[in-house]
Amino acid sequence: MKRKWERDLGLQGRMIFTMFLLAVVYLFFLAFLSYYGTPPIFMLLFVGSFMAIQYFYSDKLVLMSSGAHVVSESEAPQLHGMITRLCAIADLPKPQVAIVRSQIPNAFATGRNRNKAVVAVTTGIMDKLSPAELEAVLAHELSHIKNRDMAVMTIASFISTLAFYFMRYSIYFGGMGGGDRRRDGGGIILIWLVSIAVWIVSFLLIRALSRYREYAADRGSAIITGQPSVLASALMKISGVMERIPSQDLRSVEGMNAFFTVPAISGSSIMDIFSTHPSVEKRIARLEKMQQEMI
Amino acid sequence: MGLRDFMDSILGRSRLPKAKTDKLFAISTASVTLETSLGLKPSGAAGICFKPIAASAYESARKEIQELLEYSSKETKTEFRLEKDEFNFLWAIFKDQDFEDLVASVHLVSETLEGYGFGEQLLCAIYRFDSEPEVGNTGDGKIVYWIYNFKQGTYYPFVPLSGKQRDNPFEFRLRAEMEREMPVEKNVEKWYPLWGIPF
Repeated sequence: MKRKWERDLGLQGRMIFTMFLLAVVYLFFLAFLSYYGTPPIFMLLFVGSFMAIQYFYSDKLVLMSSGAHVVSESEAPQLHGMITRLCAIADLPKPQVAIVRSQIPNAFATGRNRNKAVVAVTTGIMDKLSPAELEAVLAHELSHIKNRDMAVMTIASFISTLAFYFMRYSIYFGGMGGGDRRRDGGGIILIWLVSIAVWIVSFLLIRALSRYREYAADRGSAIITGQPSVLASALMKISGVMERIPSQDLRSVEGMNAFFTVPAISGSSIMDIFSTHPSVEKRIARLEKMQQEMI
Repeated sequence: MGLRDFMDSILGRSRLPKAKTDKLFAISTASVTLETSLGLKPSGAAGICFKPIAASAYESARKEIQELLEYSSKETKTEFRLEKDEFNFLWAIFKDQDFEDLVASVHLVSETLEGYGFGEQLLCAIYRFDSEPEVGNTGDGKIVYWIYNFKQGTYYPFVPLSGKQRDNPFEFRLRAEMEREMPVEKNVEKWYPLWGIPF
């Protein structure tokens, strides 16, 4: 039985639309490149092999760069137990479990497929969250694995990365590939300009896609644990959004014109389109809405 | 920032924004949703909190406000009383079981106060909602206050718990649920608590 809150058609629609736009931009770029006589084969191979390395070794690369170390079942029995249970509910093979020694509350998942995945948490997040909240965060990370976000985002950013390399190195690549009339100085500048445009547009689209995947993982966590509001309270704790609510009485700050100052332009609207994660407040709002729909 | 604000900054003029009373009515339609989807019933009490005025002018101002209240609450037959709190703020507290009338009284009184030049003194208007205790829970239900900021024309939720704690998760939930139906203050840094609301 599918319950109402288990699906978000709007979110799925926006995700598909973003991927469609991305495909349009990419096809245009590849068509443009082949028309202008720069065979993209060389660059495709170059960027492709570079990204393949990143993709196939992502788990090891991330573990190395974040300083996470894989822990065995006897080293962290509670964490392992939690992840084992969540994987059973989510029907996932159990990933490797890693811990980062850091007071910054954070958690992440990586790995190219469901069998090669790693879930890592910092010691800070384990201290800060209650077991139920930690479970909700782990379920969010497992949802990333279940949704194959690593693969989706790698594929989505492949040609964007290609455009990025063209943007930076088209001058050097301009001379290669033998004599073609169209590839004179003007052609290189045109390729450069188009690469910039493609890179900017695809960058924004990828960021949008990434935010939608975050919402989807939040939703996945809610489905696995059955408690959207627990993830919401974990997000509140991690982000410190609750600390922003003042604790001083309105009447005692009234002298400092608590209400009367010109409202600061909230940095949400413009910065939002550049970020990989939606704002915590928006995520909490969606989780709370799911909580409502469950009742 | 508009040109006027810009000139004010240049010239160092500080001008208090005018009180916005028009959005006050948003609570009366919102109360339906509060009751149906969150189980929050209007308690029949509401209040307006004013800034204190210089001690010398206080007694005459109080008298004047008292008269204004008597005059303006006549139409809705809303009960009211005036009270001073430990911060020396004045409260006009209204009681009316009919929520529409309660909102109308609060609006009328704040309009009248504004008309008589007390607009800048208006701090906020507050509506109280109560929830039934949860099933299987013997304790008291929640008390929810919606605080209306006259300067911004927005509401924000305030759910006090014992010992000057507040139920932040529930406040966020209230915002998530209500922001489509009423103007809810987006900037949580303005969600100032008011401890010891006298109703």
